[in-house]
Amino acid sequence: MRLAKLEERENFRNIWVMAEWSSGRIQPVTLELVGAARPLADARRSEVWTVVLGTGIADRQLNELIACGSDIVLVVDDPAFTNFVDETEARVLCALIEKHRPESVLCGATTRGRALIPRVAVQTNTGLTADCTQLAIDPENGNLLQTRPAFGGNLMATIYCANFRPQMATVRPRVMSARPPDASRRGRVIRGTLPTVSAAACKRVLEVFHSSEPGVNLADARFIVAGGRGVKGKEGFNLLRRFATMVGGAVGASRATVDAGWIPYAHQVGQTGQTVQSQVYLACGISGQIQHLVGMQSCDCIIAIDKNPDTSMMKLADITVVGDLFEVLPELIRQVSIT
Amino acid sequence: MKEHIEKRAYHVEILPPKQDSAKLDADLAGFAEKYQRVMASGFCACITDNAMGHLAFQGPEVLEELRLSVPPGQVMIHLNTFHTKESLDEILVTCRRQGIRHLLVISGDGSDRLPKLQPADVGATDVEAVTSVELLRYIHRQYPGDFETGVAFNPYEPPEHEFEKLVRKCAAGATFVITQPVIEKHPVVDQLLATTTLPIVLEAWMSKKLHLLSQAVGYEIPEDTPFDPIATLRMLHQTYPACGMYLSLLGFKTQYDLIRDTWSVPTSKETR
Amino acid sequence: MRIVVCIKQVPATNDAVIDPETKRIVREGVQAILNPFDTYAIEEAVRLRARLGGGVEVLAISMGPPRAEAVLREAVALGADRGILLSHRAFGGSDTWATSYVLSQAIRTIGNVDLVICGKQAVDGDTAQVGPGIAAHLNWPQAALVSAVREVSTQHLVVVRMHEDGHDVCELSLPAVLTVVKGINVPRVPSLKGVLAARKSEIPVWTPEMIGADPAKIGLDGSPTRVVRTAPPPPRNKESLRFTGTAEVCAGGLLRELRKRSLL
Repeated sequence: MRLAKLEERENFRNIWVMAEWSSGRIQPVTLELVGAARPLADARRSEVWTVVLGTGIADRQLNELIACGSDIVLVVDDPAFTNFVDETEARVLCALIEKHRPESVLCGATTRGRALIPRVAVQTNTGLTADCTQLAIDPENGNLLQTRPAFGGNLMATIYCANFRPQMATVRPRVMSARPPDASRRGRVIRGTLPTVSAAACKRVLEVFHSSEPGVNLADARFIVAGGRGVKGKEGFNLLRRFATMVGGAVGASRATVDAGWIPYAHQVGQTGQTVQSQVYLACGISGQIQHLVGMQSCDCIIAIDKNPDTSMMKLADITVVGDLFEVLPELIRQVSIT
Repeated sequence: MKEHIEKRAYHVEILPPKQDSAKLDADLAGFAEKYQRVMASGFCACITDNAMGHLAFQGPEVLEELRLSVPPGQVMIHLNTFHTKESLDEILVTCRRQGIRHLLVISGDGSDRLPKLQPADVGATDVEAVTSVELLRYIHRQYPGDFETGVAFNPYEPPEHEFEKLVRKCAAGATFVITQPVIEKHPVVDQLLATTTLPIVLEAWMSKKLHLLSQAVGYEIPEDTPFDPIATLRMLHQTYPACGMYLSLLGFKTQYDLIRDTWSVPTSKETR
Repeated sequence: MRIVVCIKQVPATNDAVIDPETKRIVREGVQAILNPFDTYAIEEAVRLRARLGGGVEVLAISMGPPRAEAVLREAVALGADRGILLSHRAFGGSDTWATSYVLSQAIRTIGNVDLVICGKQAVDGDTAQVGPGIAAHLNWPQAALVSAVREVSTQHLVVVRMHEDGHDVCELSLPAVLTVVKGINVPRVPSLKGVLAARKSEIPVWTPEMIGADPAKIGLDGSPTRVVRTAPPPPRNKESLRFTGTAEVCAGGLLRELRKRSLL
């Protein structure tokens, strides 16, 4: 809500993490957010609270949240959360926020998080910053400094939410690091003290399908092996897929290859595909049109394999291999398989 | 197509106005002027289809909107694989209505905004993506007898692969061939002439900026390379007298009057 | 029944040019286009109008400077019945909260709106916050990242939503807000006839008063968030490493490097 006077900031305390509950478990991004929240809470001499809305939640997972840095775990375990109903989750989260008045709320920039949290921000009348890559506390005034890439990563913008509380931010998976679990950490799990949950009448989830195709989850991938025109066809992508499987990665693709029917759209990286932020992006035969580069230039380590050393991708890459991908990739596969 | 070459009618490329044009009226007027000059010369106007993936209006709709008539055999449109099925059929039906018979069927360049024909759209079941071959089959199956279709040939690609593709394109109904820009006597063009009986039209690059062809020919042409398009055109006529010429990037203000006599009308003795 | 499509004009490229004096982004001279994701929203609205039969009007609305009128004309060329531009100095500097407030007020003002469709995000901001924000301001149900509309009536929708781990199918009662992804349809390219007709279309400009907007909730002052500084991204390691030679040597060198950096 909007603060009439700056002193009202003092009415809001603690850094909250909204847990990512999907596929029947708490997702790893939650621990990453707890890891990011810990130093913020320490700087504010306050606590990290993790809010879990789910059903049939394992105690082991709740304890892990504490071991990784949470002080309080606020749990609503209810069948209403079996499927993702934005309106129900938003209503419960808004009620919790109004009751406990957190200073900041962090949420995973996942498909669910990006649908849920803007709704909550509007309903609690406060600001939200998407896809932060860096979070810090301003030592002068205690505000949350939220830094995010803008203009396809060509600019970093630092954003304040000075006159509204709570301050809300989303963070993509794999951007922050989880802390190693410390079994001796003490914390509290609070259950059942929450408002009665009633499922929203305006929406019903009828069916849920889990993707069976491996190697398509680009958002969560640590290692992406991506192909462009240089891959030459479906066969070439099979080669990329083999290497991706060996390194536990996913397969990405340029628009031209999707247009050519070599690989489905779900793999497309770039302006009209997905924006990815993996640790490693191995570009094979991708020349690097700007529309592709904006979708992957925030990856930590960019590697390019191309016969032509002068493509935009080869200029952007941190590591380049000047060579024929049809020789280099099989050799990579061979060498990884013998070690 | 044979009669184009026999009548020594140039194929002159004209780009229709772009979708994002800030001066659409002026562009339409410019298009009409170029088109009418080509018609008056008895040449064949070749209208591109979203060239280089840049969104532009379609030739047939522009002709219709501007109420430009189509003299028999004097208009060819490019048709590529970046359309929805609805727009593809609309283009073909409009062509048929207007009496446009010649189509240059190519795979074309895509962009984020251009839809790509899907195999099911053209009744192809055995391919992952639609190429000019599937598009040719579709046109001849759905519009039998309505169109004379040509295809592209790239002498700068590995010849074995290119000739193999040409065989498939011909099997799908292609009856003439237009090459990528030819700037000198080229062994693969010689090979093409030796192996096919189809009419061949060579693309003649009419821009002085030869370096723009670097990517097409696959080697770096320095930016300041001197190039005389008209002289090269004369050379191509001498070297390849049996071929038609497709003039791309022709300057209507500076060059049009100069090409009047580059391909002189055959005398009665000079028959093929 | 009315379907409203919310669209945005964005720079054609993301090459940010920063004015060294004002530290602001230079927008002048940069070509502006319709946000690519919004073409899917417009196309879907036009298709739903056809599926619903008669009596459905598709409106495109956009908040932006006067030149954003161009994207509304494009929407009309693509099949929208009409467009409305929300443009006023007081709207300037709105963040996603204030933007979704302004759009929701316009939707209330239009009246008889049962469905709002947005592209999944704008390519300049990449926040994906405005669609759900509009739903929240209107207190309507929402479905984000919709890849198909399986059923539609004047009362309800059945849609497919994409998630990281698959998809689900859900039923929403109307009115509702959708954000749509690229795969939902194949947008048409405007015809010359359509473009020429759209040039003649009346695009009214609405001001804050006309939509009953609370001045405290719009523009820079109404926005909870504020950019306090911008900086170039942390430089990529410009000491880029290059491997050349035989495939064996390159692969070996690359794997060693990846292991050294704990990336494998």
